[in-house]
Amino acid sequence: MSMAGSRRQFLQHSGLLLSFTVGAGTLMLSPGQAYADNVPMQVLTAAERASLESIAEALVPGARVAGVAHFVDSQLAASAEDCLLMLKYLGVPPDGFRGFYQGALAAAGALAQRTHGKSWDKLPKDHSDQLIAAINGPDPEGWEGPPAGFFTFVLRADACDVAYGTEEGLARAGMPNMAHIKPETRW
Amino acid sequence: MNEIAVKESYDVVIVGAGAAGGVIAERATRAGKRVLLLEAGPARQLDDLASSQIWARKLKWSGPWVEEEGNFKVGHVFNAGWGTGGSALHHYGVWPRLHEADFEVASRYEVGLDWPLAYDDLRPFYDTVQAEVGLSGDSTGETWRPSGEPYPLPPVPVFAQGDVIRSGFEAMGLKTSAIPLAINTREYKGRSGCLYDGWCDAGCPIGALANPLVTYLGWALKAGAEIRNRAQATRILHDDAGKRATGVEYVDGAGAKKQVMADTVVVAAFAVQSARLLLASASPRHPDGLSNRNGVLGRYLMTHPSASVYGLFDKETQPHLGPTAGQLLCQENYDDKTAYPDTFGSYQWLIANAMKPNDLLGIATTRPDIIGERLQPFMDAAVKHIGNMVCVSEDIALPDNRITLSNNKDAHGVPLARTVHNITQPSEKLLAVAMEQGKQVFAAGGAGEVWASAPFAMHIMGGTVMGNDAATSVTDSYGRCHELDNVYVAGTGLFPSSGAVNPTFTLHALALRTAEHLFGKA
Repeated sequence: MSMAGSRRQFLQHSGLLLSFTVGAGTLMLSPGQAYADNVPMQVLTAAERASLESIAEALVPGARVAGVAHFVDSQLAASAEDCLLMLKYLGVPPDGFRGFYQGALAAAGALAQRTHGKSWDKLPKDHSDQLIAAINGPDPEGWEGPPAGFFTFVLRADACDVAYGTEEGLARAGMPNMAHIKPETRW
Repeated sequence: MNEIAVKESYDVVIVGAGAAGGVIAERATRAGKRVLLLEAGPARQLDDLASSQIWARKLKWSGPWVEEEGNFKVGHVFNAGWGTGGSALHHYGVWPRLHEADFEVASRYEVGLDWPLAYDDLRPFYDTVQAEVGLSGDSTGETWRPSGEPYPLPPVPVFAQGDVIRSGFEAMGLKTSAIPLAINTREYKGRSGCLYDGWCDAGCPIGALANPLVTYLGWALKAGAEIRNRAQATRILHDDAGKRATGVEYVDGAGAKKQVMADTVVVAAFAVQSARLLLASASPRHPDGLSNRNGVLGRYLMTHPSASVYGLFDKETQPHLGPTAGQLLCQENYDDKTAYPDTFGSYQWLIANAMKPNDLLGIATTRPDIIGERLQPFMDAAVKHIGNMVCVSEDIALPDNRITLSNNKDAHGVPLARTVHNITQPSEKLLAVAMEQGKQVFAAGGAGEVWASAPFAMHIMGGTVMGNDAATSVTDSYGRCHELDNVYVAGTGLFPSSGAVNPTFTLHALALRTAEHLFGKA
């Protein structure tokens, strides 16, 4: 392929297609498509998914329908080398990623039950806001999990990835994409 | 794991198919040598380099975990690469030269270590690499630049973000120049010109940015050098006397342990893994690791303590345009390493870096305090009005900042690397002084709101430092290990001091000097 030819070819729109396991097959979907199709979780439980979506949505509005839970879940199911989570950059060994999310979600779930007697997805907005403020900093009293503020930073970054880092997300952010080359099934 | 089954022989075996290994491979191949590169990571091609900050994480280190400690961890995953091309596949292409004083910090300031060569010794190699790769910049405008040939390509254009931040520097009486980049501003030697779309962190698939796939490594492979991916070197083998390497042991992608014989072994696996391999190659002749009789191997680990300044300007900044590296450079007062009380070192500003909405260095992540309904309005404003620049400051080579072997092992039984890196008050305060200046620049440029990132580690250097004295260094000035006649180290691990400039140009020049020493002038 000539450089001039490849240059034109690279001027495509960018997307983010991930591998999702559905039954015995694998589909290449964007996280938002996986959310819309209600693709089953591979790692997270229903309760963990509900908490994760609720917290992420409170941090980054729009993250739920952008597929944050499916994004995180698919990456936790991936091999260490294929995992694209922000956590990769933040000093946590890959074999600790699942424990990080599940430990933090358990701690957050326990906090919601202890404080308001409800799971995150059942909290009214004012209670959710109160708990978000509580975990977005030093560990709240009784917190037993990875550092709360660090978890909030990580999940917010994941949520920003799906809300603003995909083709649709860049458009939502109002930033021209100008991708050279579209992420394809190869990765 | 299978038993050793295959022995092959090459003139040169290079561990690590990154920038430094690529230079050695290209010159060796050109000299008619049979060359094999052992690369621990997967194969990479230009069309792997998808334009996405999320997919870009594929290019970062995914090999055996590096245990990190200290008050300023070196950030191995973010700074190192994974796969053909190594860290230079995702580097941003900022290629300034070290300054004369950077080579002489011990003799001039009694701080850290001197290099075993001076700037003038390296200058011809900078000039050769510059001509072969094709740098863009304005050598006249860089009034602080050491002597050297003019850049072969004109500088990158200055977009709105660069304009507005430059006005802040000017208001403060500080000079800026075009930034020297290994990025084509027009076609050069068959490689495209840049599109200025800010996707450099994800790798440049059009080859405008001089990553190893389109420069020395690519040239070497075209000329016949062989590369073996998923080949993790586990130890360097040597003769009975312990004076010469005989080859390299590695584990292939199927988990089979193999050996390849070599007349010359070059360790070019980036700073941490190069030191790890030499340490893990301990033998009865070299009980503390190869070429470590003096206990220096692994010591003097360095990074560039760095931080970013951000601001929202009234004017539109078009932050998505331009190279990720930036559009402008400021190295004012670089050569005065004791300019501020209780500090030591130089620093530079990389100005007006292209930004994306997400990722660790993305717009949203610059303000983790903004959540909920406040986020979208912030994003709406920032994607049009944000400006940013990065301070890169000097580290001090300290013996206790070091790479050692962990008690934990990887899947092949090789001990993991463990790093300890602390910065001391002179470095910490220097970055603080610089950041205060940066905030003032932004305010002077009209930013209504200014904020800064937490400090972070940019680049990794040291660990296999070179020197004239075999008692206090690991290699000589050509990267040859003091205790083994035919084992060379290439890459930033050789640096005895960090300076405050991005290291990729210098590692190319050093590797070229080593290659000419080994194989003659091309």
